[in-house]
Amino acid sequence: MGALSLARIALACAAFGLLIPPWYGLESGFASWPGGEAAPLAVLLAGGAAWWLWPVPLILLASAPSLLAHRAEGRLLIACGAGVIAWVFLQGWAIGLPGTVWSIAAPFVGDASQPALGWGATFLLTGAVGLLSAGLAAQGRFNGDAFVSFLVVGSAALLIAFVFAPLLTILSAAAVEDGRIAPEAMLARLTAHEAWSLACVTSSLGCGVVWNTLALATLTGVLSTLLGLAFALLSARANLHLGGAFRALAILPLITPPFVVSLSLIVLFGRTGMVTEALSALFGIPRSRWIYGLPGVLLAQLLAFTPIAYLLLEGAVRQIAPSLEEAASTMGARRFTVFRTVTWPLLRPGLAAAFLLGFVESLSDFGNPLVLGGDFDVLATRIFFAIAGARHDPGRAAALALLLLGLTFGAFALQTAWLGKRRYVTVTGKGDAGVPSPLPRGLAIACGAVAFPWMAFTAIVYAIIMLGAFVHDIGRSDMTFTWRHYITAFEVEWFQGLVFRGAAWDSLFTTIEVAAISAPLTAGLGILLAWLLARQAFPGRRTLEFLAMLSFAIPGTVVGVSYIMAFNVPPLELTGTSLILIICFVFRNLPVGVRGGIAALAQIDRSLDEASATMGGGAVATLRRVILPLMRPAIIAALAYSFVHAMTAVSAVIFLVSARHNLATVYIVGRVEAGEIALAIAYSSVLILIMLAVVLGIDKLVGRAQIGRRAPAGAMQTAPVPVTA
Amino acid sequence: MPDPAIRFERVTKAFGPVRAVDAVSFDLPQGALVTLLGPSGCGKTTTLRLIAGLELPSEGRIEIEGRDVSRLAAAERRIAMVFQSYALFPHMTVLENVAYGLSVNGARRAAAEAEARAMLASLGLEGFEARLPAELSGGQQQRVAVARALVLRPQVLLFDEPLSNLDARLRRRVREDIRDLQRKLGLSVVYVTHDQQEALAVSDLVVVMRDGRIAQMGTPTELYEDPADAFVADFMGEANVIAGEVLAADGGRARLRVGGAEVEAAMRAHPVGPATLAVRPEAVTLVDAGGVPGRVARAAFLGQTREYEVETDAGMLFVIAPASAPAFAEGAAVGCRLERVIPLRG
Amino acid sequence: MTSKRGFAVALFAGALAALVPGAARAQGQLTVYCSVQEEWCRPMMAAFERATGIRVAMTRKSSGETMTQIRAEATNPRGDVWWGGTGDPHMQAAEENLTLEYRSPRLAELHDWAVRQAQQANYRTVGIYAGALGYSYNVPELQRRRIEAPRCWADLIKPAFRGEVQVADPNTSGTAYTLLATIVQLMGEEPAFDYLKALHRNVNQYTRSGAAPARAAATGESVVGITFLHDAVTQKVNGAPVEIVAPCEGTGYEIGSMSIIRGARNLDNAKRFFDWALSAEAQAIGAEAKSYQLPSNRNAPIPPEAPRFENIKLIDYDFARWGSAAERTRLLTRWDREVRAAAR
Ligand SMILES: Nc1ncnc2c1ncn2[C@@H]1O[C@H](COP(=O)(O)OP(=O)(O)O)[C@@H](O)[C@H]1O
Ligand SMILES: [Mg+2]
Repeated sequence: MGALSLARIALACAAFGLLIPPWYGLESGFASWPGGEAAPLAVLLAGGAAWWLWPVPLILLASAPSLLAHRAEGRLLIACGAGVIAWVFLQGWAIGLPGTVWSIAAPFVGDASQPALGWGATFLLTGAVGLLSAGLAAQGRFNGDAFVSFLVVGSAALLIAFVFAPLLTILSAAAVEDGRIAPEAMLARLTAHEAWSLACVTSSLGCGVVWNTLALATLTGVLSTLLGLAFALLSARANLHLGGAFRALAILPLITPPFVVSLSLIVLFGRTGMVTEALSALFGIPRSRWIYGLPGVLLAQLLAFTPIAYLLLEGAVRQIAPSLEEAASTMGARRFTVFRTVTWPLLRPGLAAAFLLGFVESLSDFGNPLVLGGDFDVLATRIFFAIAGARHDPGRAAALALLLLGLTFGAFALQTAWLGKRRYVTVTGKGDAGVPSPLPRGLAIACGAVAFPWMAFTAIVYAIIMLGAFVHDIGRSDMTFTWRHYITAFEVEWFQGLVFRGAAWDSLFTTIEVAAISAPLTAGLGILLAWLLARQAFPGRRTLEFLAMLSFAIPGTVVGVSYIMAFNVPPLELTGTSLILIICFVFRNLPVGVRGGIAALAQIDRSLDEASATMGGGAVATLRRVILPLMRPAIIAALAYSFVHAMTAVSAVIFLVSARHNLATVYIVGRVEAGEIALAIAYSSVLILIMLAVVLGIDKLVGRAQIGRRAPAGAMQTAPVPVTA
Repeated sequence: MPDPAIRFERVTKAFGPVRAVDAVSFDLPQGALVTLLGPSGCGKTTTLRLIAGLELPSEGRIEIEGRDVSRLAAAERRIAMVFQSYALFPHMTVLENVAYGLSVNGARRAAAEAEARAMLASLGLEGFEARLPAELSGGQQQRVAVARALVLRPQVLLFDEPLSNLDARLRRRVREDIRDLQRKLGLSVVYVTHDQQEALAVSDLVVVMRDGRIAQMGTPTELYEDPADAFVADFMGEANVIAGEVLAADGGRARLRVGGAEVEAAMRAHPVGPATLAVRPEAVTLVDAGGVPGRVARAAFLGQTREYEVETDAGMLFVIAPASAPAFAEGAAVGCRLERVIPLRG
Repeated sequence: MTSKRGFAVALFAGALAALVPGAARAQGQLTVYCSVQEEWCRPMMAAFERATGIRVAMTRKSSGETMTQIRAEATNPRGDVWWGGTGDPHMQAAEENLTLEYRSPRLAELHDWAVRQAQQANYRTVGIYAGALGYSYNVPELQRRRIEAPRCWADLIKPAFRGEVQVADPNTSGTAYTLLATIVQLMGEEPAFDYLKALHRNVNQYTRSGAAPARAAATGESVVGITFLHDAVTQKVNGAPVEIVAPCEGTGYEIGSMSIIRGARNLDNAKRFFDWALSAEAQAIGAEAKSYQLPSNRNAPIPPEAPRFENIKLIDYDFARWGSAAERTRLLTRWDREVRAAAR
C-alpha cells in the first residue's frame, strides 16, 4: 500500500471520528445522538463546548491540502499524526473528571471536566496513527511500505498502551510512599526481611518469600522436566503406541481451571483425605497435614506443568536426526553410550526450554499456592494479599512484583547464556532417513517406572474431580449421589421463554463471550506481529519484540492490579466493561501467538514472500494469499491456546470482573473461598468439557496430519514455544 | 537509442559494515541476456535483488527502461524473478501459481487462468495444471517458475542461479531452453551464476563482480581473450599469470622477455617495459626447443587433451595440448612457445 | 466462504455490542458490591428487584477485594452500594472518605449495637447483621484424641491442641483481625500477645480466608477452627459433626455492614436499597439462605439455628478504635513480628 492511499484513508477515518460517533464514552447509550452525551466532537466544538479540543480539527485540516493534491509529504504527515495523538492524550490527562485536573492546566481551563474518550476519539486516534505511519512510509522508512508502517506503529501504540504503561503505573507505585516519591522506601521494600529471610536454614521458621518461590520454581522446573522427559522418551522411542493416551493426559491439565487439581489433592491427601484415611486404617500411618505447603503445591504444579514439558520434549526427541545416532552406533558405540554421548547432549536445548517453562509457570502460578500453600507463601500470593488483604499496601505489592519480574528475567537470561554459545540444529529440512534407535533397556524400564504410576495418579486426580461433582460432599466423604450442584449452577426454567436460573449461567456466558472474542483478536494480532518481527527489517524491531513478549513474564496478579490502576480514569476508562477483560486476555496471551507465529514463519521460506512481491503482490496480498494460508496450523493453535487460557485465567482478572461481567474462574474461586468445593468442582467439570470440545474441534478442523507436520505435538504445541526463543 | 533495460548509477548497498554492492555503475541493454558472474559472496544476488526491488539501495540510483525506481518496492516494479529455490507456493496448484501474479495485479480470475493455461502450454506443461508443486520433478518445477515469471510480461526477467538445483544432464538443456526463450521473446534477462562455463555459453554480456564491485564487463569473447586483470583472467578460465618485459609491441605482435628468454607472441599494443602477462593453457605449444625453456614436472593424459605442468624460470606453466600433438614424458626438457599473450592492467 | 464471512460479521457485531459501555442499561438500576456468600447475595438482589423494579447488577467479592476495588475506583466509582462483609473495612472506607454519610429513616428500628457502630462511623456505614466470634471443634476427632471438650479461649492453648487449631491470617482476613482485636480488648495488650504466642504453637495453619477454618473443622482437617459462629453453624446445619463454642471469657463480634459509595452514579436507588435492606423483610432473607447471623432490625425474625447473643458473653467492642488504619497497622505489624515470626 502506498503512503498516499494510507494517508487518505487515515484522514477519512479521523474525519469520520470527528463528525459522526460520540466523542466521549457513553453512560446511557446513543439515544441523545447527535447532541447531549453522545455528541460527536464536531457538534461539541460548534456548540462552544470542549473548546480545548479545537487544535485537533485544525491539525487535521493542515494535512488535507497536500493529500488532495496527490502528494504525501512525510514530515507534514508525521507532525500532524503525532500532534493529534499528543494533544488528545495531554488534554485528556490535564482535564479529567472533577478532582483530577492537572494543577498547571487549572488557570486556563478553570474547573472544566470531561468524561473518558469514546468511539469518536477511537476513530480519530486510529486515523492519527495512520497519518503518522503514512508519513514515516513516505520518508522511506519500512522500505516505503505504508501497510507495514501502519502495522508497526499501530501495534507499538497498542503494546505501549496495554502492556508497558500499566506496568509502569504499578512499578512506579513501588517507589511511592504516602503520595511522595521515596527511593529509600523502595530500597527498603526490595530488601525486606519478608522477602530474603533465611530463617528456615537455621530454625524451624519459614524462609523469605523469594527463597520459597525460588525453591518451588526450581523443584517444579527440574521435576516436571524429568517427568516430561520420561514420557517423551517412552512415546517417541519405545514402540509402545501410547501416543493417544499420552496426548489425552497431556491436554487435560491444560484445560483445567486453576484450583481444581488442588481441590482434588486435598480430597485425596488432606488429613481426612481418602488416601490418608486408608493408610491410617490399614497401616496405622498417622494422618498428617503434609499436603499443605511446599509438597502439596509442588505436586499440584507438577500435575499441571509436566504435560507441557512432555509436549516440548517429545518434539525435541523426535527432531534428533536418527542419522546422528546411527553414525555413532556404526562407530561401535553401545546403545547406552549412544544415548549418553549423542542423544542426551542434543536434547539439551529442549531440556533447557522445558525447565525454563516449568520454572516460569511456577513463578506466576497463583491458584495452587492459594489453595494448598498453607503457611508456605510465594511471591504471587503475597502480592495478591498485599493488595487485597486486610492491610492494603500497593507499594509493597509493587516491590514484590519487581522481585518476581527479576526472577523471571534472570531465568531467561540464564537460558540464553547457557544455550547461546552452541548450535544444535539437527533439522535440515531435507528429510532424514533412518530409524530412531530404541531406548536402552535399563532406561526404558526406568522411564516406565516413573511415567506409568504418574499417569495413573493423574487419572485418579481427574476421576476425583468428575466424581466430586456428582456426590453430596466429597470433602467429608459424603458420597450420596446428587445432581444438586449442577442444578444450583445450571438450572434452566421454562417461564415465558427460557430462563437461565442457575447461579453459574451469567459468568459462563460472559466467559465464553470474552474468550470467543479475545481468541481471534489474540491470534490475529499475534500472527501479524510475528510476521512483522520475522519478515520485516525496521528500526526498533527488537524493542517491539521485547514489548510483545513482556507480558509473558508478568504475573497475572500484577497485570490485574496494574490494569485497574491504569484504566479506571479518563482518558482511558475501561474498568467495568467486558472490553477490559478482552484487552487483558489479548495482551496476556499475545506472546504465545507471536512465538508460535515466528516458529511457523521460520519454516516458510522467505523467497515465497519475495516471489509474491516480484509478481506485484503487495504486503497485504502476500499476507492474505501466501503467508496466512501456510500458517494455518499456527493460527489455529494460537486460537485454541488463547481461547483456553481466556477460560482458565484467574489471577489477572480477579480484579477486573464487574457486576455485569463476571468470569467463570473468578466465580469458582468464590465458591472455593466459601468452602463449596462440590459446586466449584461441578462448574469446573463443565468448563473442562467445553474446552475439551473446543480443542478437539479445532484439532479435527485442521486435521492431525497438518498439525503433525509443523507442530509435532498437536494443537497445544505452541504452549511451550515462548521460551524456546 | 533506446533507454538501457537497467541502469545503475553509483549504487551502493550496505548491510551494516559490509558493502555488498559498492558504488556500482552499469548500463544493461534491452533484449540481451546479461550474466552476473563472480565468486560466492561477491554481491551478485544483492545486485539482482536491487534490480528486483527486494532490497533498496543505500546510495545511488537505479533506472529500469529510463524510469527511476530507486525507491520503488518490488511490487511496484515490472520485473519478474525466478528464484534459486523456485519459490513455488506449496499450497497452490500449478495453475494457481502461474495465475497468481495476474490476479494480484487485478485480472479477473477466468482471464488470469486462461492466460496462465496458455503460458503453461507454451512451455510444454499441459496437463500439469491441477498438480501441486510437490508433485512435480525438479525440471518441471523450474519451468513452472519460469512460466509464472513470464506470464506477467515483465520489462526484465531475473534468474538467480536457476540451474543449481538441477542435475548435470538437465542443466545444459535448461540453460539452452532459457536462452532460446529469451531470444524468441526478445526479453531483457539478468542471470546470476558463479559458473563461468554457464556464463560463457548463454550470455550476450557478462558482468564479472568481485567484492561488491565490477571487475570487468564485456562480451564472453572479450572477457576470455582480453581480461582486464589477473582476477578476471583466472576467473574466466584458467590462465598462467607471469611477469615479463615488453621489448616491442605493434601490429598485433610483440617481442617479450619471459624467464630470461626472448620470445615472440600475438599480443595487443602495450607500452614497452615490465608487464604482468596472462597466458591461457591452450595458447602454449610445447616444442623440443625454442621459446621459454623448461622441464616437464607432471604430465596427464585426459583422452582428448594432454595436460602438463612445466617448470620454467618464469614459474610453473600449466599447458593444455591436443592429444594429436607430440607427447612429452615427465622429466623431459621442453621449450614453451607462447602463441597468444594477454597483458594485464596493474 | 459466505458462512465464514457471516460468522466473522456476527463475531464483530458481538464484539461491538460487548464494547458499548452501558448501551443496554435501563433507567432504574443499581450496582451492588456484595460481600457475603453468593447464596445470600442472589436472593437478596432478586427480592429487591421484585420489590422496586430497579435492576440490580451485583458482584460478589470478599470484603478485602471489594475494599481494594473501591479504593482503586475512588476517582471514578463504579459501584453504588457495598452490602455485607465484616465491618472493619466498611469503617476503614468511612475513615478514608470513600463512602457517603446517610441517615436512614429505619435507623430507629435497629438494635443498639448497629446504631452505635453507625454513630462511630459518622453514619457512613450501618450494621445489617452481627456475628459473634468463637470456634467449632470436630467431635469424632476430639474423641479419637481423648481431649476434653474446650469451652474457653484458654483451653485452646493447652498442649493437647498442639497443631490442632486453625485460624485465618489477620493480614488477609477480617475474621482473624477480629480475633486479634478481641483478645487484645479482652485481656489487655501485653497478656493478649502472650496468649497469641501460646496459641501460635497450637496453630497448624493460618488460612487466608476467614471462614476456611470452619470448613477444616467440619471435615476434620483440623480439630478446632476459629471463626465466626455463624460460619460454623452453616457447617453444622449441613451435617458436619461439629460442636460450636462461644468462649467462656467473652468474645468479640463483627457487625456486617452496608455503605453507600461516594460518587455513586445511582444515588437515589442506592438510598432506596439502603432503606430496604434495613427492613425486617429484607433481613429475613439471610436465614432462608442458610446464613445464621443476627439481623440488625429488631423486628426481623431470628433464625432458630443462629447463636443467640443473649447466650453469649459479648465484649464491648470498640469498632472505631480497632477499625482505624493506624491501630490496625500497628497491631498487625506487632503480630507479624512477635507471633507469626516466632518458632512453633
Ligand atoms: N541480508 C543481508 N544481511 C547482511 N549481509 C548480507 C545480506 N545479504 C548479503 N549479505 C552479504 O553481502 C555480501 C554479498 O552477498 P550476496 O549478494 O548474496 O553474494 P553472492 O550472491 O554473490 O554470493 C556477502 O558478504 C553477504 O554476507
Ligand atoms: Mg547468491
